[in-house]
Amino acid sequence: MNQFKMILRLAWRNLWRNHRRTLIMIAAIVIGAWSMIFMTALMRGMVDDMVADGISVLPGHVQIHHPDYRDDPTIANVIAPPSGELLEALGGAEVVAWATRVRVPAVISSERDTRGVTLVGIEPLRERDISFVAGDVVEGEFLTSPDDRGLVIGRKLVEKLETGLGKRVVVMSQDQENEIADRGFRIVGIFESKLAQYEEGFVFAGETVVQKLLGVGDQISEVAILGSDYRNVETLFRSIEAAAGDGVETLPWNEIDSYLGSMLAVMDGFVIVFIVVVFLALSFGLVNTLVMAVFERVREIGLMLALGMTPRSILGQIVTESVLLLIIGLVIGNVAAIATIEPLKDGIDVSIVGEGMEMMGASSVLYPALYLKDIVMANLIVIILGFFASLSPAWRASKYDPIRAITKV
Amino acid sequence: MSNITFRLAWRNLWRRKRRTWLTVGAMVFSNIILVFLISMQLGMYAMMIENTLRAQTGHLQVQAPGYKDDLKMRQVVPDVIDLAAKLRSEIGSDEIAARASAFALVSSEERSYGLQISGVEPEFETRVSSLPGLVTEGRFLEDAMAEEIVIGSVLARNLRTGLGDELTIIGSGRDGSFAAAVVTVVGVFESGMPDMDRGFAEVPLGFFQDTFYMEGAGHSVVVMAPTLIQVGALGGRVESLLPAGEGLVVHNWDVLLPGLKQAIQADFVSAWFMYGILIILVAFSVLNTQLMSVLERTKEFGITMSLGVTPGRLGRLVLLESGLMGSLGLLLGIVFGGALVAWLGHTGFTYPGLEEMAGQFNLPGRIYPQFSAIGLLMGPMIVLLASVTASIYPAVRLHWLEPVAAMRAAE
Amino acid sequence: MKSVTCKQLCKTYHQGEVEVIGLDHVDLEINEGGFVCLSAPSGGGKTTLLNAIGGLDTPDSGKIWLAGERIDTLGKGELANMRLHRIGFVFQAYNLIPVLTARENIEFVMEVQGVPADEREKRSTAILREVGLEGLGDRRPAQMSGGQQQRVAVARAIVSKPALVLADEPTANLDSHTAEQLMELFVELNEHHGTTFVIATHDQRVMRYAKRVIHMLDGKVVDDERRDVA
Ligand SMILES: Nc1ncnc2c1ncn2[C@@H]1O[C@H](COP(=O)(O)OP(=O)(O)O)[C@@H](O)[C@H]1O
Ligand SMILES: [Mg+2]
Repeated sequence: MNQFKMILRLAWRNLWRNHRRTLIMIAAIVIGAWSMIFMTALMRGMVDDMVADGISVLPGHVQIHHPDYRDDPTIANVIAPPSGELLEALGGAEVVAWATRVRVPAVISSERDTRGVTLVGIEPLRERDISFVAGDVVEGEFLTSPDDRGLVIGRKLVEKLETGLGKRVVVMSQDQENEIADRGFRIVGIFESKLAQYEEGFVFAGETVVQKLLGVGDQISEVAILGSDYRNVETLFRSIEAAAGDGVETLPWNEIDSYLGSMLAVMDGFVIVFIVVVFLALSFGLVNTLVMAVFERVREIGLMLALGMTPRSILGQIVTESVLLLIIGLVIGNVAAIATIEPLKDGIDVSIVGEGMEMMGASSVLYPALYLKDIVMANLIVIILGFFASLSPAWRASKYDPIRAITKV
Repeated sequence: MSNITFRLAWRNLWRRKRRTWLTVGAMVFSNIILVFLISMQLGMYAMMIENTLRAQTGHLQVQAPGYKDDLKMRQVVPDVIDLAAKLRSEIGSDEIAARASAFALVSSEERSYGLQISGVEPEFETRVSSLPGLVTEGRFLEDAMAEEIVIGSVLARNLRTGLGDELTIIGSGRDGSFAAAVVTVVGVFESGMPDMDRGFAEVPLGFFQDTFYMEGAGHSVVVMAPTLIQVGALGGRVESLLPAGEGLVVHNWDVLLPGLKQAIQADFVSAWFMYGILIILVAFSVLNTQLMSVLERTKEFGITMSLGVTPGRLGRLVLLESGLMGSLGLLLGIVFGGALVAWLGHTGFTYPGLEEMAGQFNLPGRIYPQFSAIGLLMGPMIVLLASVTASIYPAVRLHWLEPVAAMRAAE
Repeated sequence: MKSVTCKQLCKTYHQGEVEVIGLDHVDLEINEGGFVCLSAPSGGGKTTLLNAIGGLDTPDSGKIWLAGERIDTLGKGELANMRLHRIGFVFQAYNLIPVLTARENIEFVMEVQGVPADEREKRSTAILREVGLEGLGDRRPAQMSGGQQQRVAVARAIVSKPALVLADEPTANLDSHTAEQLMELFVELNEHHGTTFVIATHDQRVMRYAKRVIHMLDGKVVDDERRDVA
């Protein structure tokens, strides 16, 4: 214990013998640590946002479909609404909200123009808790019930169709008998979305109205279920899958949207790769600093050995010096990273490349997301790898021959 | 720089072999990563642009003003076939084709889908677009007037239709009136791009014009330039050839697909954040090394100054040393990084999850880095520059060195 | 003409709280072609005086002329240039650049002066012969004895034919035999080229060769002794 205190004291004082070198090294560690945490928070923020948007746009966390629906998303592939065991499971504690939908490709026409869209028949009250539409209605009203005869459409689509609130449009799709079914709707609400493609691509109507239009009785295209955490859907998925049975296909969101799913997975790997790469770039300087420190002290290390200090204590002293250096750098780097991220919490405007971000599925405002898990990981990686990197120079120092070390000019 | 100074600098480096190698090592490490990532980015961008442009917009389009944003049926290019022919002969290139486009409901016996239908000139579409080459079943369109259609593979599956089957097209014409026709499926394409394969179809332009009451008009003339670099110049030429008084405009690909360019920019900027960090860390490494090396040579520098050598000259020596280290790092970085790029250029590079992500940008699941001078040199050159810049401080410090005090300094 | 003239040179060093006298009102004249020893015990002010004459260090007060030109008023760059062309230095420790060979050490000064390569080569070959190091030009300092290294330092000092050579305890690290050989080399150069030598030392072996010995103590000139060479 005493020995350790002494080693610590020696290491600390030695660190400040060449304060210029130590400060430069600390500065490098600070920049490294800052970039690790800052960059990670940005990337996490972007992906979180993408996933959250993606999920709120439609999927929910788990979905149930007809087995053929994903390949052929038409009115031919519908399922019965939840009942029995499934309905019971949907009432379970894992489930935050759920809703059924009828979702089919359609063509929408105003007096001026025609567009291809996805027509979604919803249960407005249930849908409110799952997807974005209800909250994003900026003009008019959201639908009130499955029987509501109104239509809610996106701002961009309104512009393209040169129509407006209260105006009529015709929606055309195909019913179960493969006949063209069309129906006039009055636009009762206009929504805006962070992602333009949703504003242009989706229109919402009452579920019962759509079912009647397409002649499918009470059948539906999908059940969307929301759990509490999108990063952790496994248990929710398992219980729903078991309750839903074999006749239908039950999928978690990351399989429904494989782009988002793989994005999230790849990002986890990428964060680690980034941290390690930055550390490695840093490690050359760290080892270099230690090598220089050891080289300068050949005589006194020899002297300490001659006075009876064990080679192990020498090794410990150098490693301690290195770890102290890392800790100082990390502490400042962490503080700096948090201090730079905090004022950016309200979002960083990247709308200059907004359409590019949209192509990636991200919105034009970046919200950095600081996770304790990432901070801990960055710091641990640096300390642990730093420890190993400093072993080599420390080991060399502990192997000095005391007599030769002292007499070396 | 003279011979001896050069030799002096070089030998000074090897007085502390380990230190120099560690510093050079930091450079080589960063250089390899930079060479690899930059080559990768360039390869990816080139592919993103080429794939997307070849499949969709082409390099340039002549359109009616406003069409690119509104895509309205009535925003037309009049006499589009004649205009395309005129441009072809004036410019002397076959890579020019007329197109028209409309939303329509396409129905088979069992299914209906709303989608975008393009009217194309079969003869010239093959020159501007990759789509005709992607027809995997049947053939591409041949006759400008034929009642034929080529559709995406997913669409064919969804429509439960195949070669020789008839499809009904229902939409609205240029004047807003009801438009309908029956066409025969003659080809199915597979582009690998989900949106295209699911929701895109092409019919002959002449037939399109009749069906949608276009009165000889179309929506765009697509022009391909021999290379991406020539797009700007070609755009000017096309513009000068447009008929006066019709107010037609020429759009470059980056205007037609702003998302593509901005996605590249966003990716570029975020990548350079990481590169910047690497470069700064290398610069710190060099700063530390050179500062130490100057400090431990204080006495030597004092003597040299007593011989009448100016601090400026000694400073240049220090910069030269950094430059030499940087050059060594550059050389090794390019050799190893280049080897890596060459190898991956051959086998391609992938990681789990890449394929799903790449599809979003019209990329295949395997990326082939581009072996180019820019990719090889850009990163290492900046590292070299940063290294020399980092040693300005140690070099300038020499101006404060007093020869007498320096000589008294302990070695 | 006088090679060196000093008037009322004073220099005080401050070491923390303590003031140390380096030079105390030194007056001095040295003729061209002189061969002068500065003799003083350690700490007597020899190095301080040599550094002042060589323009390495500036005195607190007093004036210095070299070959009739005031130098205490010159700027750093002008001083560097003056040292480069008109003064040669030889130090106690051999002070060669360790990574350069003997020949390169000698050529280094000429290179800074801008002497073309072939001329450098010719002169370094000649000077190596003159100091008795023929054939050793490619050795690095670490591969040479102390005497050999000091000869390289001398060669470097005189290669650009300076009018004045300042040597600060050049024999301190040499054995008697080698020290005598070095002094004979100095004498020869002095007679041959007419180079003025000012040698700081407290080594009796050296003073035997001097035509004039200036004794210093605590920064003051206490005796000026002219003698016939033994
Ligand atoms: N840079 C300096 N700082 C403090 N004291 C100095 C310095 N240079 C010389 N001195 C002091 O000045 C006095 C004269 O020194 P010096 O000229 O080196 O004597 P010598 O060369 O005769 O041994 C000594 O007491 C010495 O300690
Ligand atoms: Mg002295």
